[in-house]
Amino acid sequence: MPDLINRIDCKRAHELLSKHMDAPLSPAEYALLKAHLAICDLCVLVERQFRALRSAVRRLGA
Amino acid sequence: MHVQMQIAELRPVLLRIARMQLRESAWAEDVVSETLVAALEGAASFEGRSQVKTWAVGILKNKILDHFRRSRREFSVDAQADSQLNDSLDELYDDTGHKANEPLDWGDPEAVLSQAQFVEILQQCVDKLPRSQARIFMMREWLELETGDICEELNITSSNCFVMLHRARLRLRECVEINWFQTGTCDA
Repeated sequence: MPDLINRIDCKRAHELLSKHMDAPLSPAEYALLKAHLAICDLCVLVERQFRALRSAVRRLGA
Repeated sequence: MHVQMQIAELRPVLLRIARMQLRESAWAEDVVSETLVAALEGAASFEGRSQVKTWAVGILKNKILDHFRRSRREFSVDAQADSQLNDSLDELYDDTGHKANEPLDWGDPEAVLSQAQFVEILQQCVDKLPRSQARIFMMREWLELETGDICEELNITSSNCFVMLHRARLRLRECVEINWFQTGTCDA
């Protein structure tokens, strides 16, 4: 999918990462996000950070 | 320690969480008072299947949801105003749409998240968010409501909800990174 890889930048990838935590992405959005994450280690870190924030908040009061 | 005493001692932690969620001290005081009364009334039937704290936090969540329903109009007006904020996040990215500051590796989340100081910083960072962004983030991540239910409670569109959650997460990750991972506080 080389033509897909450059279609989104990190800013758009972060929007999709966040949306993916709240709702299913469309097949096209999912493909774009996966293609971007495959070549962008920094966005993989951001995905982990979003999930770490979720875990931290869910532990409040636990 | 008696269950009643354990419940009474939970007041500060319940208040802290309620303030994070509601962003109004008076409302937080009200729901925590209601929670403590309900917990004390139910103490005799508390079966010890979970910790007292976990049980009381469960009651607090229900009291907060009741409060949202009673004050739906006020929360809705706030949410609609905050969704119009000119929070473009542009300073977080360079001209090519990439992060202006490279994100750090937070290491092992399990080791970090359980540290009390991390929770303090997380709370301070949530407090810095615009009021409705913080409420929506907490509704999604702490109350674990689906976005459809949040939209309905606050009378906002799903796209507004996604935008506000996205902004909240980006602002929080930036704030936590600066205040925890870049200040030498983290020893994970």
